Amino acid sequence: MRFPHAFLSVALAISGITCVTATPAPVAPSRPPAVQQTASSPAPASEVLPPREEDSVLFAIIGDSGTGSRSQFEVAAQLIKSRQIFPFEFVIMLGDNIYGSERPQDFVNKFEKPYQALLDGKVSFYAALGNHDDPTQRFYKPFNMNGERFYTFTKGDARFFVLDSNYMDQAQLKWLEEELSRSNDRWKIAYFHHPLYSSGEKHGSEVDLREQVEPLFVKYGVDVVFAGHEHFYERINPQKGIYYFIQGGSAKLRKGDIRRGPLTAAGFDTDFSFTLAELGKDSMRFQTLSRAGKTVDSGTLALAPDPKRPDNATSAAR
Amino acid sequence: MVRTLLVLAFTFGSVAGAAPQQAPVNQFAQSMADFRERVDAYMKLRGDITKTVPEVKETGDPAKISAREKALGQAIANARASAKAGDVFGPEMSVYLKKILAEDWKSRSPADRKALFEELPPGINLKVNQAYPTTLPLVSVPAKLLAKLPMLPEELEYRFVDRYFLLRDRDANLIVDVLPGVLPQRTVSR
Repeated sequence: MRFPHAFLSVALAISGITCVTATPAPVAPSRPPAVQQTASSPAPASEVLPPREEDSVLFAIIGDSGTGSRSQFEVAAQLIKSRQIFPFEFVIMLGDNIYGSERPQDFVNKFEKPYQALLDGKVSFYAALGNHDDPTQRFYKPFNMNGERFYTFTKGDARFFVLDSNYMDQAQLKWLEEELSRSNDRWKIAYFHHPLYSSGEKHGSEVDLREQVEPLFVKYGVDVVFAGHEHFYERINPQKGIYYFIQGGSAKLRKGDIRRGPLTAAGFDTDFSFTLAELGKDSMRFQTLSRAGKTVDSGTLALAPDPKRPDNATSAAR
Repeated sequence: MVRTLLVLAFTFGSVAGAAPQQAPVNQFAQSMADFRERVDAYMKLRGDITKTVPEVKETGDPAKISAREKALGQAIANARASAKAGDVFGPEMSVYLKKILAEDWKSRSPADRKALFEELPPGINLKVNQAYPTTLPLVSVPAKLLAKLPMLPEELEYRFVDRYFLLRDRDANLIVDVLPGVLPQRTVSR
């Protein structure tokens, strides 16, 4: 076995859910070098899975991260450590990037210091605005928002649509439809702060927002949606052919808040976490790790053929 | 024939002459036009001020962003020192807004209603020209409600804070107008 924790491609005997039978293949890294090992990046985490495909898009996902607390630093340390094995090129931030006051020193203590090793390693961050974020964060260069509340960017075959779910006005909806309609990208990934589907007791699904954006996601074939806001990790069973993830536990935690039900494919609400993702030719592989570096969920999701997308999933949730 | 035309002209003239007193007026359209004028006036003033407080470009120095936000907010507040609640919403649009907000409130589930007060401490007092408290979250304005409200320029946004409905200048972090008492008293326990 080349990989200590190769994915189990288990055919789920559930109607409508098929699996991607993935054959892990080693990658000769033509990727940016991993960050240097420092005091804050100790030995590689043994559970982190290496990339499986060449020329895939590797990224990390954090949400509700900007506290400046010890837990943020601990999750950041694992994130930094994971990059030695999974050399992600960029990080998407799902909002609540800076909690509380937003003085210049807050940007240092709640963002620059925790992720210093990544910033030094030329890892880019792409932020979405949360309800604790001043919209002027869009001018903060390290968040790569180009001065916009909502924006889009591409990486390889993937286009990311970053929305401001705090304020989904008609102008933003119009923009979203225009951008989605002109996208021919293999992967269409949307992310924003408020989850359209959630099993959280505290917040729950944002039904109002869902009614506005989900029809566009379905119509134009969005593949995966990431959100935060809920202070835990949850993978939602595919909804209308779209994969939904919540990752709002990268510095805040609402212990025991997940009310497991029909939405929940996997959930983790007992410790802080972050997620790694690889967008390959035909599938997205993901791995969510706790701040202790333990895998709490992982799997491979099939890229459904456009425009009809069956609900495909392979998972080795643990 | 000529007589007929004269009669018709007289009749039409009489009706037309009476029209100004009886013509139906679309009150909402009138309120909307008034609100737009008020917003335009604010934007004109804001535009003049931004000539002296230039837009901030993307920067890695958050101090520059913060300084610009404060400078812009202060300059606008100084220029509107006598502004009071309702100056931009206007008396007529305020009535419509309250109605729209009340109807929206009625249509919401208990969970949705609770979300509008979430993470907000009780007893908040907000005034025009005050900076929006940076320690408070920005409560999301429900997307379906936004679709019913008059559109705003990108520089402005509606916000709820406790029972207030605000008009907020996004980049100046300034409360431009307030409409108090638009939501019922909180009954949710925190």
